[in-house]
Amino acid sequence: MTSRLRGRPLVRTSYAQDMALLNTPAKRRSTIALIVVSFLIPFMVTDDLLLVLTLGMISAVGAIGLNLVTGYAGQVSLGHAFFIGLGAYTGAVLGGDTDAAVTGYGLPIYVWLPAAGVVAAVAGLLVGPIAVRLRGLYLAIVTLGLVFLGDHIFREARTLTGGPGVGRRGPDLVIFGIDMGESGVVLGLDLAREQRQFLMALVFLIIFAVLGRNIARSGVGRAFSAIRDRDVAAAVIGVDLTKYKVMAFAMSSFFAGVTGALYYAVVGVFEPSAFGLLLSVQYLAMILIGGVATISGAIMGAIFISSLGRISGEIAHVLPFISESSGSGGLLSVFQLEAILYGVLIIVFLIFEPRGLFGIWTRVRNYWKGWPFSY
Amino acid sequence: MTAQTSLPQRIRARATSTPGGIAMREKNLGLWEPVTWADYWDAASLVGHALLSLGVEPGDRVAVHSENRREWLFCDIGITAARAATVGLYPTNPAPEVRHVLADSGSRLLVVEDQEQLDKALEVSAELPALEHLVYLEPRGIVGRYDDPRLMSWEAFLALGAEHRAAHPGALEARTDAVRSDDLATLVYTSGTTGPPKGAMLTMGNIEFVLQTLEDDGAFIDPPAGEKDQVVSYLPLCHVAERVFTTWYNAGLGTQVNFAESIDTVQQNLREVQPTLLFGVPRIWEKLVAGVQIRMSGASRLKRANFAVWMKVSRWIGRTLVARQGRHTAATRIAYAVGWVMLYRPLRERLGLSKVRYAASGAAPISPEVLEFFMGIGLPMYEVYGMTENSAIATANVKGRVRVGTVGEVQPGTELRIDETGEILTRHAGTFAGYWNNPEATAAAIDADGWLHTGDVGEWVDGTHVKITDRLKDIIITAGGKNISPSEIENSLKASPYIKEAIVIGDRRKYLTALIGIELDTVGSWAQKRRLSFTTYRDLTTKPEVVELVQGIVDAANAQLAAVETIKAFRLLPKELDHEQGELTATQKVKRSAITAQFADDIEGMYAGAAS
Repeated sequence: MTSRLRGRPLVRTSYAQDMALLNTPAKRRSTIALIVVSFLIPFMVTDDLLLVLTLGMISAVGAIGLNLVTGYAGQVSLGHAFFIGLGAYTGAVLGGDTDAAVTGYGLPIYVWLPAAGVVAAVAGLLVGPIAVRLRGLYLAIVTLGLVFLGDHIFREARTLTGGPGVGRRGPDLVIFGIDMGESGVVLGLDLAREQRQFLMALVFLIIFAVLGRNIARSGVGRAFSAIRDRDVAAAVIGVDLTKYKVMAFAMSSFFAGVTGALYYAVVGVFEPSAFGLLLSVQYLAMILIGGVATISGAIMGAIFISSLGRISGEIAHVLPFISESSGSGGLLSVFQLEAILYGVLIIVFLIFEPRGLFGIWTRVRNYWKGWPFSY
Repeated sequence: MTAQTSLPQRIRARATSTPGGIAMREKNLGLWEPVTWADYWDAASLVGHALLSLGVEPGDRVAVHSENRREWLFCDIGITAARAATVGLYPTNPAPEVRHVLADSGSRLLVVEDQEQLDKALEVSAELPALEHLVYLEPRGIVGRYDDPRLMSWEAFLALGAEHRAAHPGALEARTDAVRSDDLATLVYTSGTTGPPKGAMLTMGNIEFVLQTLEDDGAFIDPPAGEKDQVVSYLPLCHVAERVFTTWYNAGLGTQVNFAESIDTVQQNLREVQPTLLFGVPRIWEKLVAGVQIRMSGASRLKRANFAVWMKVSRWIGRTLVARQGRHTAATRIAYAVGWVMLYRPLRERLGLSKVRYAASGAAPISPEVLEFFMGIGLPMYEVYGMTENSAIATANVKGRVRVGTVGEVQPGTELRIDETGEILTRHAGTFAGYWNNPEATAAAIDADGWLHTGDVGEWVDGTHVKITDRLKDIIITAGGKNISPSEIENSLKASPYIKEAIVIGDRRKYLTALIGIELDTVGSWAQKRRLSFTTYRDLTTKPEVVELVQGIVDAANAQLAAVETIKAFRLLPKELDHEQGELTATQKVKRSAITAQFADDIEGMYAGAAS
């Protein structure tokens, strides 16, 4: 029986209402508004900025994945770059050009994209059991080992990856006959390449964000949180540690694989050195700065970190002592500034705002939510 | 009267006409579980059948000792359907009062909520020969530990009803339809500020009069209440005011009743349900104001400034409304619209008052400051007057004709006059049938012409509104021969959020003094703000700073009073008054005699300085 009381969202008559994805009218309204605005962005923003946002949104999928394993399940992973690399090469090999010097099978996106996720997920499944035996710092170091293993494999498998300094092209982005790499009229709209890619990335982000949120708010997500908060206690209340830790790694790796394949399809050419420790640290920075154990935080963090290069460029315009290219005089180059910003931001956020950008948002929201009181 | 539509008959009619409509909700484990009219009547008729199978006869008394919950209404309707009378006990009643009420009423069956209430009854059950059965609602702590043969679980009780209904279908309906208007429907025990509680007898005819006044004459609420109105039931159901707002409005006009999770969560449940009709006793409204003050004092600077500005505006709006009997001017409307965005809407939403279209205060005098606070933030707030003995129907303020400080106009169908001594007399079909087992008290209350002597002193204001001065027996006559009404003075003190209780003393004395009880929450947070360390309530009352704070409030109140009415001295009560200790009645009214006896030394101390 539906017995909701009109205009009184706090009157819950079933637990489903309580756990709903958008359980308050305010959330419903703001989410719809946000999505509408997001779809309008490509028609209002210049193409170079669109590319930055596109890459940010694709990274967000990977950041959500890392947040599942590190934020929700509390298993610190430095191996995210390895899974992203696996996804990138699986996508590139399956979807790549058949005539190129490196291996390519020219398969369509609905084969290479899921395959990229699955291959990474299988690797995650293999790594997962390690997490069952290790905790905290030790787990971080073991996953760090993965990055070095991956780095070596990607460098040596030249027929697949092109090898260091050479690299290879990513897969072609053609969905439902629409080539994301070209400009032209689609569904009556004249869309440039960047606009198409932005919209595609937005759709993928929405799909994976909802998927991530659903994992987090389901029994699986609650099991993850239980393990994060205290694994012994979680085991006592009946959470199967082995199963859920392996699941966390597998799910997280799937997200990473998808990100890898999509990201380098948009970027174009990439080489094995991209998947080093720095990439893992970047993703950790995304969830730390965005907000640990929140989906929206992961998205905010990913877009912010991806825009950091652009932001330091803008700062360089304003400050005369920063040169815009490396080597040509000045106190600092843009790239140095970007690296410094990374470090400073991580330190500042961990000390002053450990809950990340999402924490800032919660504080702002609670300020108005509590109006006219403070608590 | 044919009584074709008694209380249970109305529920039955609604169960037939709108079986799927929602009659009430109760919050359990986080969910508001609905009860439809069909469920309601089904449960009530099971109770009725169970009573029949236990041999309850018309006119027998059945008692209910529980917090407000669905089963209270099921029992109330089931009991009246079997033409027995419901006797309600306050959940806070201590064992001796339970003994008095059960023994005085001669209840044959008692429905208790849980182990706590059961223990009270069992403690005194040796002195209750009439009590045959005890039905408990919550089995926790009872099952497997108690072996009293009179015990029965609620499920077993209903199963008994189901069995009886299967064996004798129609037996209850026949009993219900044989209802007569002079059937005793309920015994409402008065709070008993002076003596032991007296059981006021309300008949089916009395209730019928109330229902008709509510339905046909639209008493109290304009536009009349209907099926879309939400009520939160939280005051004790054995009190006549809550019975009107919960059971009778529900049966008569189909309002939906929402039961709070527990007494401690009322504030949060109000916020969830956002009722449209809300009744509160002054204590509740005062506590709401005090709560706002406490939470505001902990708010950020900007929020405090915002609150201060808009409360100032609201006071101005409130004064204008008071002066214009609750009608707006263009200027107040504009000010209110801006303030609505800035403060009033969010504040009301937080308090659970955002959808309230009718808020009433009654059962005790309320200070005008509290009324003005709520009127200022846009709450349509009305003071009403009534008592158990006239089925809560006497006077009420109505929309557009509000006079703060008065209890409003005489209700339709009611005769009201003020006699030579100033006592208010009422007469209508809802006048109670008398006190149970107490013909002397009955004779004192109802005179030969059917006028009810309310015991309240009042006067006419502008010939239309009634102003209550005080309880007749509380009027203070000073040694100088001056008649003074203590409740007005007490209320002007209690308007301060720091003061919870004020008892003005001065009968046959040279001047007035007061015993003052501070409000622990507000004074506690005030002390914390000043880094004043304290341990207990008693410790707090001995702090010179606190005495100074209260002195300031007393001085401010004195400035508004005539010279003979000023408080010359006061003492702080060293403890919070308590029902269990016999200092308060179940309705939180102060038992003056108990207090003056208990604190006689303090009182004498206040008069010691003045060598008379």
